[in-house]
Amino acid sequence: MSGGAMTRSRLTIAALIAALVAGCSPSDGRQVLVVYSPHGPDLLRTFEERFETQNPDVDVQWLDMGSQEVLDRVRSERANPQADVWFGGPSQLFHAAAEEGLLQAFSPTWSSQVADYSDEQDRYQGVYLTPLIIAYNSEVVDSAAAPQDWDDFLDERWTDEILIRDPVASGTMRTLFGMVIQRSVRETGATDGGFDWLRQLDARTREYVLNPTLLYQKLSRREGLVTLWDMPDIEALRATTDYPIDYLYASSGTPLVEDAIAVVNGSANPELAGRFVEFIGEEGEVLLAAREFYRLPARTDIPVDSLPPELRRARDLIVPEPIDWQLLHERGPEWMRYWDENVRAG
Amino acid sequence: MRPGALGAVVILLLIWLVLYPNLFVLGDSLREGAEWTVENYRRFAESSSEREALWNSVWISAASVLFSGLIGVPLAFLFTRYSFPGRSILGGLVALPVLLPPLVGVIAFLFLYGESGFVARTVQGLLGLDRPPWRLTGPWAILLVHSYTMYVYFYLFTSAALARLDGGYAEAAAALGASRFTTLRRVTLPMLAPALAGAGLLVFMTSMGSFSAPYIFGGGFRVLSTQIYVSKLNGDLAIAAVETVILAGVSIAFLAMLQYYEARRIYTGAGKGAVGAGAAAKQGRGTTTLLGVLAWSLTILLLLPHATVLLVSFVPEGTWTTQLFPPTYSAENYVNLFSRPEMLTPIVNSFQMATIATAANVVLAFLAAYLLVRRQFRGKAILGALVILPWALPGTVLAMALATTFNADQPLAGRFLLVGTFAILPLAYFIRNIPLVTRAALTSFRQFDPALEEASASLGASWTTTMRRVALPLVLPGLAAGALLAFVTALGEFVASILLYTQRTRPISIAILSQLREFDFGGAAAYGVFLIALMALVFMLGYGKVSGTPGT
Repeated sequence: MSGGAMTRSRLTIAALIAALVAGCSPSDGRQVLVVYSPHGPDLLRTFEERFETQNPDVDVQWLDMGSQEVLDRVRSERANPQADVWFGGPSQLFHAAAEEGLLQAFSPTWSSQVADYSDEQDRYQGVYLTPLIIAYNSEVVDSAAAPQDWDDFLDERWTDEILIRDPVASGTMRTLFGMVIQRSVRETGATDGGFDWLRQLDARTREYVLNPTLLYQKLSRREGLVTLWDMPDIEALRATTDYPIDYLYASSGTPLVEDAIAVVNGSANPELAGRFVEFIGEEGEVLLAAREFYRLPARTDIPVDSLPPELRRARDLIVPEPIDWQLLHERGPEWMRYWDENVRAG
Repeated sequence: MRPGALGAVVILLLIWLVLYPNLFVLGDSLREGAEWTVENYRRFAESSSEREALWNSVWISAASVLFSGLIGVPLAFLFTRYSFPGRSILGGLVALPVLLPPLVGVIAFLFLYGESGFVARTVQGLLGLDRPPWRLTGPWAILLVHSYTMYVYFYLFTSAALARLDGGYAEAAAALGASRFTTLRRVTLPMLAPALAGAGLLVFMTSMGSFSAPYIFGGGFRVLSTQIYVSKLNGDLAIAAVETVILAGVSIAFLAMLQYYEARRIYTGAGKGAVGAGAAAKQGRGTTTLLGVLAWSLTILLLLPHATVLLVSFVPEGTWTTQLFPPTYSAENYVNLFSRPEMLTPIVNSFQMATIATAANVVLAFLAAYLLVRRQFRGKAILGALVILPWALPGTVLAMALATTFNADQPLAGRFLLVGTFAILPLAYFIRNIPLVTRAALTSFRQFDPALEEASASLGASWTTTMRRVALPLVLPGLAAGALLAFVTALGEFVASILLYTQRTRPISIAILSQLREFDFGGAAAYGVFLIALMALVFMLGYGKVSGTPGT
């Protein structure tokens, strides 16, 4: 290698390093609020902007991930928490976190309106209710031919046509499977009937899908024709894409997943975190979430006629499925382990 | 510097960064609450699904080594030993699968070979079937993805070794009457043994730790890496720790086996000076054409996933469903990528972190390889094991170990608060790539004759001068190959990143994941194309350097 080439390459490297270091932008001095959330970038971006407008000295930064993953991350970071707020996910995950001492009690002014969906010790608050629904490819299946109830999934004709979001990673699917086991416990006093139902479902299932995106993709590409999922995601999908996917509410009962929010224990800014929790549950913000993102408010004092048509329809059609959340908190993880080890086809 | 002192410094550094954090994981596997117990191991041994996962991990990894070798080694011979039009360009292109970032690669496979993918749809259409002809699921799908993405290790290591191989040996063998096949079997392959063993090790370890392929394509096929994830999500951290320890144990056993084998076969060449004379074999015009066609077809086949990513990146969100080709195209995804400054930040982040990590890797690899090949000192065996150990530890394990060790400021216990800071990801990338870069440096050191250094020293050159003017230039091609691989690996690293990133240090892979979560395949693909282009650029710059003859 000649001397000239050596000098030139050294200069290039030096310039590269200088450029890299310059790329490191320092913090702009605003107070940082870190939010972990599965709600998706669109919703999060909206609330980030609105909260920052109200609090110009605050920089909201969010990390978007699955709710089960939020729990895992909060757990891993126990000794040095990085998040201030955990926004979104089924309440049984929040409950597990609260029991492990990962959440900090906080009581917003609206907590009495969501008392049914919140922790008795105020370690988390319900914000939205997520109805679980039956979704199908609307190009191949019309609404009359689609499964009308959960039991219809066990029908012969859906053999190899069912797609299911991997329940191990999904709080939503865990709730749905939990509902099946609970029905069995309620009716027979034992879990056997529920697992038998899930075994039959497994036999008809074409594939357990890694994430919601792939689920929509495969459903719209007809790799499978029906699935069990949640209403806000399908409504958002219908609003933003051309995917031929439609949904209906199960006739026997719809589980409403309580979607919660909490201050993370050890948050660097607990006061600010509390302010964000308060903000998310304010009437105006809850209505915004309802209108733009199809989130059904958990607050009981929101007038029905201020909700968008999709949610008013939901409230008319839904037969709420009674769920013993306490039982689900206690036995849910054990049921899922049993399902993974003994029910799911190997 | 005295080798003993240098050795001690390098060993201590590695113990602190590689071994120490993993002892925390081992501790977790042996505890139930505050009590020490082997109960968790008993639970593992009694569960049939855990045993099945263990067995699957082992055979899938062994089969991945076999298939990757069967693709990579012949390709290396084809591109270094034969001449045909476009050889040098194609030789670079077939290394491209290494530039397919984990998540993007998997998506490409789905669109291409998945049951509603391009190839399946075409076959279905041609044969008039009403169902897709196959499903991309189960162990064969995992093997396909593994061999496709990992043959590059065999290809690169073998090519580098062939380029360095002194043609004189083959000539000598031929002159002594050996047939081509005998020469290959008795001379060339044994000389390639270190490179083959190195590549085999990389493939085995990568397969053992591989997560996205079995998770996405496994379809209920259990392997240890996915079991760890499931256990962790189930909140069963003790079992996750046991699975981690078992996974590491198998990998370490394989490593030890290979090291034992390697220690018994050392080949150095004292050549006539014409390094890199593994020249093109004599061939007729018909053969040239045939080889050209073969090479071009193989290259196209191997680049199909890249083409798929490129295609998907031009598809507006939510428009491509059951059609064979996307109904509309637009540059929308690229406009989004560049019009949002927050989408460019991850690229800058990844570049910074990969650069820092790789620079550290090069320094450490050079010193460690020098010590291991050229010096005798106490603790040499330990050093040899330590530089290889990170490959035995899947990314998730490393990340968890780092997260539990470096989350407190206890300087006396060797613990510093790095979680949540900028330093943690470059550190993780650095540790993950220690074996890769060190192996590359080791292979190079082993293949040149120590007499060259001795000559330099006897001519009065100081140790540093000898290192700088003699050893470094000779080792550089191999070291550069290793460093480039390390750099591109770090640039697209996903498994450790996902546990350790913070909002401020979001790397590209996490940005891609967010796009995917947003049902935005096009956006993710645009990121993927950008990443591939960036990596290809770095790679081409470096590939010239690697394949060029080293200075003498």
